[in-house]
Amino acid sequence: MGIVFTRLFSSVFGNREARILVLGLDNAGKTTILYRLQMGEVVSTIPTIGFNVETVQYNNIKFQVWDLGGQTSIRPYWRCYFPNTQAIIYVVDSSDTDRLVTAKEEFHSILEEDELKGAVVLVYANKQDLPGALDDAAITESLELHKIKSRQWAIFKTSAIKGEGLFEGLDWLSNALKSGSS
Amino acid sequence: MFSLAHGLWKYIFNKTEFHVLVLGVDKAGKTTLLEKLKSTYLKGEGLPPDLIVPTVGLNIGRIEDANAKLIFWDLGGQVGLRTIWEKYYQEAHAIIYVIDAAAASSFEDAKFALEKVLRHEDLKGAPVLIFANKQDLPGVIPEEELTRHLHLKELNERPYMFQAVSAYDGRGIKSGIDWLVEQMEKSKRTEVLRERAVVAGQI
Repeated sequence: MGIVFTRLFSSVFGNREARILVLGLDNAGKTTILYRLQMGEVVSTIPTIGFNVETVQYNNIKFQVWDLGGQTSIRPYWRCYFPNTQAIIYVVDSSDTDRLVTAKEEFHSILEEDELKGAVVLVYANKQDLPGALDDAAITESLELHKIKSRQWAIFKTSAIKGEGLFEGLDWLSNALKSGSS
Repeated sequence: MFSLAHGLWKYIFNKTEFHVLVLGVDKAGKTTLLEKLKSTYLKGEGLPPDLIVPTVGLNIGRIEDANAKLIFWDLGGQVGLRTIWEKYYQEAHAIIYVIDAAAASSFEDAKFALEKVLRHEDLKGAPVLIFANKQDLPGVIPEEELTRHLHLKELNERPYMFQAVSAYDGRGIKSGIDWLVEQMEKSKRTEVLRERAVVAGQI
């Protein structure tokens, strides 16, 4: 009974919860993004072994954001976190052109996962503050985002250091989750 | 035996699935149109127009009418993003091309982009529905003038129609969609796409 009431309440007042996974290669900037979103500050980070999880309240949505370590050896563990995920934020270091192929391969293997079939996809073309960073159109090409045809996706140019583009991305994400057509 | 009957049932009652690409230059109102389509056909509420941000990627809408399932692919229209459009052409049954009919300054760009769409080999024979959008705004350019301006000879190689609509209040949308479904049902392209899907083992 209590649960029904809670649901009714949150559907009336528009408070929703969403489980979001932040994925990407190591050194893409996932952890910096997580804490920039959560505290609005740049924190100094070390490579994540395991995960960080924080709650970010934005646009009436409570985003439960999971930042998973991106090093090659621990990527196989990502799948343990896949169930019940509504959205994926895929972070790319736009200046690391040498590893874009790897970033693409990891990305598409994630999308093939059954448990993530319904998740919408937000791509952060991160590190735009660095010289030589590719723009959103170029990252779209390199990641072959156009191969995604059965779910919503969007890409945003971001700089986690300067705090640019991150909330624009969350705006899109909250709309995509609200319109619920994924 | 049961699976045979089930197959027959599916054959008779399964609605055809159509992919419709929603294209147009930025600020034409593609995503607002998509949300209006969802709210009209799904009886739910679409996103209110003031919450809609420029699309950098793909939005998807799925609706059903009496005879068909429609899947709309709404792609971002900014210049740098238009290169993605063609990646979706092969699988598209038809195109909805959205124009901001209240902004004469956008017509040149809109015409240029439309011409490129129509000339693309992968869209051969695809019906095109041109939505002269934003009819709710004052200063909207009369349909004849817009038609004259955008009349490209490439249009004659396929079924096409101009339709005045407002993605804001919804006028004109339903009759446009009815026309499009009818065209797709009898289109040779639909046949070709179906055969290709069978070969690829998708059906």
